Amino acid sequence: MDRILVSPSPHIHARTSTSALMRDVVIALLPSVIVSILYYGWSAMVLLAASVVSCIVVEYLITRFMYKAPSTVGDWSSSVTGVLLFLNLPPSCPWWVAVIGAVFAIGVVKMTFGGLGQNLFNPAIAARVFLLVSFPTFMTNWAAPKGFIGGVDAVSGATPLGIVKEGLAQGMTLPEIYAQHDFSYLQTLFINIGGSAGEISAIAILAGFIYLLARKVIRPYITLSILATVFVFSGIFWIVNPDQYTDPLFNLLTGGVLLGAVFMATDYVTSPMSDKGGVIFGVGIGLLTILIRYFGSYPEGMSFAILIMNSVVPLINKFCKQKKYGR
Amino acid sequence: MKTFSIGGVHPDDKKISAGSRIEVLPIPKTVYISMAQHLGGPAKAVVAPGDKVKTGQVIGEPTGFISAYVHSSVTGTVKSVGLRKDLAGIPVVHVEIETGPDEWADGIDTSDTLVTDIPQDRQFIIDRIKNNGVVGLGGATFPTHVKLCPPPDKKAECLILNGAECEPYLTSDYRIMLEKTSQIVVGAALMKKVLGVQRAVIGIEENKPEAISAMSAAVADLQKKSPDYSGIEVMTLKKKYPQGGEKQLIDAVMRRQVKSMGLPIDVGAVVQNVATSLAVYDAVQKNMPLISNTLTVTGDCLPADRQKNYLFRIGFPLSYIAEYNGGVPEGAVKIVSGGPMMGKAVSNFDAATLKGSSSILYLTAEQTERKPESNCIRCGKCAEACPMGLEPFLLNKLARNGMTEELEDNAVQDCIECGCCLYSCPANIPLLDVIRIAKGEVIRAIRARTAPKK
Amino acid sequence: MTTTIIWTIAIITLLGVVLAVVLYLVAEKFKVEEDPRIDEVEKVMPGANCGGCGFAGCRAFAQSCVEAMNLDNNFCPVGGNETMKKVAAVLGLEVKEKAPMVAVVRCNGTCSNRPRTNDYGGYSSCKVKSALYSGDTGCFYGCLGCGDCVAACQFGALSMDPETGLPVVDEEKCTACGACVKACPKRIIELRNKGPKNRRVFVSCVNMEKGAAARKACKAACIGCGKCEKACPFGAVKVEHNVAYIDFEKCRLCRKCVVECPTGAIHDVNFPAPAVKPAPKPAAPASAAASAAKPVAQPAAPAAPEVKVSAAEAGKKVEPEKKSEE
Repeated sequence: MDRILVSPSPHIHARTSTSALMRDVVIALLPSVIVSILYYGWSAMVLLAASVVSCIVVEYLITRFMYKAPSTVGDWSSSVTGVLLFLNLPPSCPWWVAVIGAVFAIGVVKMTFGGLGQNLFNPAIAARVFLLVSFPTFMTNWAAPKGFIGGVDAVSGATPLGIVKEGLAQGMTLPEIYAQHDFSYLQTLFINIGGSAGEISAIAILAGFIYLLARKVIRPYITLSILATVFVFSGIFWIVNPDQYTDPLFNLLTGGVLLGAVFMATDYVTSPMSDKGGVIFGVGIGLLTILIRYFGSYPEGMSFAILIMNSVVPLINKFCKQKKYGR
Repeated sequence: MKTFSIGGVHPDDKKISAGSRIEVLPIPKTVYISMAQHLGGPAKAVVAPGDKVKTGQVIGEPTGFISAYVHSSVTGTVKSVGLRKDLAGIPVVHVEIETGPDEWADGIDTSDTLVTDIPQDRQFIIDRIKNNGVVGLGGATFPTHVKLCPPPDKKAECLILNGAECEPYLTSDYRIMLEKTSQIVVGAALMKKVLGVQRAVIGIEENKPEAISAMSAAVADLQKKSPDYSGIEVMTLKKKYPQGGEKQLIDAVMRRQVKSMGLPIDVGAVVQNVATSLAVYDAVQKNMPLISNTLTVTGDCLPADRQKNYLFRIGFPLSYIAEYNGGVPEGAVKIVSGGPMMGKAVSNFDAATLKGSSSILYLTAEQTERKPESNCIRCGKCAEACPMGLEPFLLNKLARNGMTEELEDNAVQDCIECGCCLYSCPANIPLLDVIRIAKGEVIRAIRARTAPKK
Repeated sequence: MTTTIIWTIAIITLLGVVLAVVLYLVAEKFKVEEDPRIDEVEKVMPGANCGGCGFAGCRAFAQSCVEAMNLDNNFCPVGGNETMKKVAAVLGLEVKEKAPMVAVVRCNGTCSNRPRTNDYGGYSSCKVKSALYSGDTGCFYGCLGCGDCVAACQFGALSMDPETGLPVVDEEKCTACGACVKACPKRIIELRNKGPKNRRVFVSCVNMEKGAAARKACKAACIGCGKCEKACPFGAVKVEHNVAYIDFEKCRLCRKCVVECPTGAIHDVNFPAPAVKPAPKPAAPASAAASAAKPVAQPAAPAAPEVKVSAAEAGKKVEPEKKSEE
């Protein structure tokens, strides 16, 4: 011991790290990824690879050549964005759309603000909305490609929410629409073909949620307040007019509410710091989602709701502070 | 089970040396007794080179209201009085004494007999505490007699004895609670008498069940003997850091919170460490000055048979204690005096022990080296951990931009420097390093602003 | 269709007029009366808002000048005499010239001079470090090497020399605003007279320990021996608290102290040749390294006796200046 090390206290550290937290998020996403690859087959794999690889490459290039700093790829955050982007795309979407989405997510939404921790909007969600606006045909083509199991070959179709929206526009009532397309909750819960890659299984998403909670990566307040708000708010409408407004369970299980509530809204960077703020944030997302679904022109509203609430996070952080000792 | 209401972290408690009985360290050839062993004005040395001193003789007199006496811990000849580096390498006046066989100064009772009769004269107790140089041994080394004499407009309601020892590794308080149990309770009764309070709570964390049962038994035993011991109780506290923080302990025990920039006495609380209580017992009942204390030598890299609790006298060089223990273990890169969360890193290992020294803790590179700082990911773990309910991530940003007013608005002055924020930050941001400096600046600004009004 | 267009134009025009009136009224109501000369003075200021003058920024300085109508207590160190003359012209005042100053680092505790005893593992800031302990070497007074001064300098005049671990002042860029002086917790940096042809003599040490202890901590420490004090014919050198200090107002740059100093703690900069004891020999060109480093100073070189100093050492001494001339 030639030279004693000196540093200010504390001298020990919990040894949590950004990369470990992000790696946990990737692990939590695995069930959804595996299920969607099993059911959507090769095209899903290509899409996943395109999305993750391009996210990592874009981040690497920007940190090295624009920031002229050591690469931050090792913190796993670009991988999280890549996987989330894949889960937000229709499985039949061409791989180059995923690449464009990745460039937008990392290059525009994340890195222009200064990289990890600095961005205002969730990169994956912002990229999804960007793609939805730029490539509406690809982004609303819900044809399911052939998977490794399940044997569903190119089931055409729209998402349940899309079917409802269209039916309502044609002046049908909900029971009539349901009668036309046989629809079961049980199916949504386990395997639901039709929708984004990540919407395939509610159970898989919940498994990820439980993993994140168990590893203390996230706290449950944001997720639960979104789900509760969606349930209660849509429930009120449904009680008033069950012919016109979809029921609460339907709203919970469709259109990426679960995916968004568990993985997108809980993103550290773009969600409020305090639990109180998290509840406000979650309630806001829930309300906006239902409002967009019932009264907007897009069938699902989760992405827009999250983006809108992302923009008010700084305000929430400013006004929702935890109680200080002795004040 | 009680605990404080905001924040906190759960570091692994690592009480490796808990099973080791207190051993008495032999006296080295030379001791160096610092004149700055307490908070406040350093003592003024009253001996000169060549003087013969006895063990327990006054060698430093207090300067100012907040200051304390310093006594010689050995018998011998003063070799020099001058600047010597303390554990941070900062020159402080030390008295260097060449030691000889122990010869105690007059009036000191060196026997082991337990004296349980509480003197009824309040001033007598205070004088004994003051003259024997007792200071708080929980870390801050605030002169005890000052703390026990609150200003007349403030009324103490409850004495809290801090036996939480919430810092990982440290076991010295635990050992004295097991080995000097009754003395601590008598010390509590003495302080209760001085303060004139009815209630005294000894708070101990749940991870020390033996200490809890021993203390409870001693309290029950003494309560049978004399009414002076009524109102003393042992309270089990949850294991959570920083349970032993003064403000946190008050919150846990009394469910009251001290206002910002306030003192515990504002809510009727006086907090003293169990080691201080033992020193009070020695000072009052035995007229024994505070010249020794218990110190833990520990660390993961230290072999199991060298995990020790020692009774040392003030002025022993740290390196001497380490040598006696078998030298600095393989793999240690950092030596901490105090706990791993709030202790001071030693830069000068030849520094002398002080009244408040509580440990020599060896840490390995793997345990203690900081990882490179990365971007804040706004996870909020620091705010969640902060026992004062502050937002370290925000304070860090404000401090780095020198925004003093905003720092004050966000209560940086309330920071207790417990280290929970830095401990839990996944991005390894040196939150506390930055906040500590900002806190100092803001407190100076507040003092400068409020001082002229007085 | 036409009506729609007309309506639109009408409404927008009306809206514009109404808002313009509102804006005008608000502007009138909240108008702040200010001396127009403040603006004029501010225009001639450097606009760095560095705070070197002691005011919050250039405007605050201008305001103070105008209010006081007297420039005795106000001086802009960045703009120097030029700017002050302009300010004086605007206000019709007199201004006393001040000798230009420059920041000087008074520590020579290079890595080779000061053996390291500790490593630092916390936030890299001198403030944090100095609050914690004495520093990585045995010297309690010396440079901590975390570069708070570099961070404080708005003019890019300071940089850390990785070789020595000490900050280096670029005298071309240094404006003597004093930000580094305030930033240094060890008070090592001092503003000193720039001196004729930028030549200066100063004690590059602030160690107040006694000789032996100082020497033990750092080979180049001032040991307070007092030889310089005796050597100085002008009474410019004073040894107090075991450390020498040269009063730059009194110093005549004779460099007798430089020669006397046993540890080399007294530095002379921008002199064409190293100082030596006066010898009878006539002038000779300075060592190769020194001349290469100082092309500007070379022609003006006064009669300097030849010295037996290794080229490397001479080169090292002038290193800070070399940078400034590039």
